[in-house]
Amino acid sequence: MSGCACSEHAVPPALERVEVVANDRVASGVGLVVLHAPRTAETVRSGQFVHVRLAHGTSFILRRPFSVHRVRGERIEILYQVLGTGTRTLAEREAGDEMDLIGPLGHGWEIPPGIAHALLVAGGLGVAPLGMLAEELAARGVAVTVATGAPNKERLLVRDLFEGVARRVEIATDDGSCGTRGFVTGVCENLLADEALDVVYTCGPESMQRIVAAQAAGAGVPCQVSLERLMACGIGACLSCVVRTSQGLKRACVDGPVFDAAVVLWDLTEIPAKQ
Amino acid sequence: MSGRVSHTVDMSVKLGELTLRTPVLTASGTFASGREFADFIDLERLGAVVTKGVSLEPWEGSPSPRIAETPSGMLNSIGLQNPGVEAFCEDDLAWLSSVDVPVIVNVSGHTVLEYVSVIERLEVEPRVDAYEINISCPNVDSGGMAFGTACTPAEEVTRACRAATSRPLIVKLSPNVTDIAEIARAVVASGADGVSLINTLLGMAIDIRTFRPKLARIVGGLSGPAIKPVALRMVWQVAGAVDVPVIGMGGITDTEDAVEFMLAGATAISVGTANFVDPTTVMRVTDGLAEFCRTRSIARVSNLTGAMRT
Ligand SMILES: Cc1cc2nc3c(=O)[nH]c(=O)nc-3n(C[C@H](O)[C@H](O)[C@H](O)COP(=O)(O)OP(=O)(O)OC[C@H]3O[C@@H](n4cnc5c(N)ncnc54)[C@H](O)[C@@H]3O)c2cc1C
Ligand SMILES: Cc1cc2nc3c(=O)[nH]c(=O)nc-3n(C[C@H](O)[C@H](O)[C@H](O)COP(=O)(O)O)c2cc1C
Ligand code: FES
Repeated sequence: MSGCACSEHAVPPALERVEVVANDRVASGVGLVVLHAPRTAETVRSGQFVHVRLAHGTSFILRRPFSVHRVRGERIEILYQVLGTGTRTLAEREAGDEMDLIGPLGHGWEIPPGIAHALLVAGGLGVAPLGMLAEELAARGVAVTVATGAPNKERLLVRDLFEGVARRVEIATDDGSCGTRGFVTGVCENLLADEALDVVYTCGPESMQRIVAAQAAGAGVPCQVSLERLMACGIGACLSCVVRTSQGLKRACVDGPVFDAAVVLWDLTEIPAKQ
Repeated sequence: MSGRVSHTVDMSVKLGELTLRTPVLTASGTFASGREFADFIDLERLGAVVTKGVSLEPWEGSPSPRIAETPSGMLNSIGLQNPGVEAFCEDDLAWLSSVDVPVIVNVSGHTVLEYVSVIERLEVEPRVDAYEINISCPNVDSGGMAFGTACTPAEEVTRACRAATSRPLIVKLSPNVTDIAEIARAVVASGADGVSLINTLLGMAIDIRTFRPKLARIVGGLSGPAIKPVALRMVWQVAGAVDVPVIGMGGITDTEDAVEFMLAGATAISVGTANFVDPTTVMRVTDGLAEFCRTRSIARVSNLTGAMRT
């Protein structure tokens, strides 16, 4: 594969035919689909994604990118928010249905050697690529603290997700219906002041990630961000997914989606609008 | 002949002096230089790799968002982002030197001189088999499509490029014109050895929640199945107007589409947007074309070219 700066050798992507094992609603407007995908399950690394073909025929044609949330044996889990045509189609899929995906794709999270304590900051669906990471960190003996936010209790994602892997979980809701009232960035600020942290990992709306990156930089803690772009090919060929960095334009699908926050030139016009 | 005789179909086609193993090519800008697809397909089974657009200096391309999905297709305004011809030679051509497949380099420029300078740099590269001159990109402010929408500038670029090389010269035509056959005749009269069409159709889309255009550049090029009937009509018109090979493209996703383009008069076909949907499309179409001919006892795939009955 080209352009991949992965420290460990990443396995090349492949086209894999997968079967839906289960597909359930887990929060308001959010589903969790479990796919039997042995090759991807075996080769994926935390922070990588799969490019899923949801349509056949020609009404809409492009694949949709989704992070691999967690791996369970030969199965992978995808946590998805229902937004438009593609994710509505995904929500209608039932156990036994088949589809195909390309994966594993992209450059995932880096776990620096020797770290003792990591902070994971998720805004909304940003928890999606952090599930696998939390488990991997815990398995390596790294203490995990999680800050997660949502508009309200109903939209808060899988609260027990990090149970057993996180040492501490702090929750923020915009309306105060669960945890602290306010944004997750407020919680993040306090944690950065309270705890001795070696690394911050974040995913969520780009405006939130930018604030977290600035907070981490202020506290002198290295930070990795996971950026979303509209993607056509997902494999590095079309240049639809570029991210501005101090090292020039990078492709989110192969050089990212995870980037060192220090190189990202934040450009908020690039976030696709979401509901 | 008896159906029991299993004959092999001759899949080769001639693009002027260039003989291609198969009529299936990749559409510029949808396949990079092939490296990203090597995980999914055997590049050596392609008729040729048509590279992304290459300019003299590096181009930054357009701001994001650069794509928007539309019914049965997509809009793009990538804006010909590329690292410039020097980096292209060092990186892409060097990589391609280990792959046994003809290479057609897609050339872009803002000025006639720029097109010529790119060709001059590439002339010393043995790995280049032919040029495709892009006079039809809707995503750059000056040059690009401006050259392809009137006869005089199209003739000028073609003549200048012709003078710079004796390699096969293909000119890529814009569909954003009133009479595409007229432009085709003009570039052939100016020395083009072949024409390829269609490039994307200029279009746009607006997000009604934000009142903003879906593309940062507001307008972009439409590709994919949505444009196929328009592309097919234009290939048929151009094939009837010129006597050089025509490379047909626009929404080809399967064997049936490819056969239609050849029946309309295309000597070879290119797969573009479909590469994003299924990275193995070019292999499927190649196998499908061979099978199509075999089951109908058509000895040569080239017999399909222009074979539409009226
Ligand atoms: C690397 C990567 C990983 C992702 N992981 C997840 C995940 O784990 N779970 C999840 O729910 N979503 C994830 N996304 C976003 C997901 O791909 C989009 O939400 C999805 O493609 C929307 O498809 P749709 O057809 O439902 O919506 P569309 O009808 O295409 O669009 C509906 C809305 O979603 C926005 N949108 C569309 N595509 C994207 C995109 N790629 N990124 C951001 N916004 C988009 C549009 O601007 C529009 O406002 C990820 C995106 C990327 C690039
Ligand atoms: C993302 C994208 C990038 C493109 N870049 C180029 C380019 O650099 N040069 C060019 O001549 N055509 C370019 N094209 C046009 C295609 O080569 C092709 O002419 C067009 O997309 C129609 O074919 P399709 O419907 O099969 O995609 C691009 C198309 C797309 C979708
Ligand atoms: S999505 Fe095509 S290059 Fe990233």
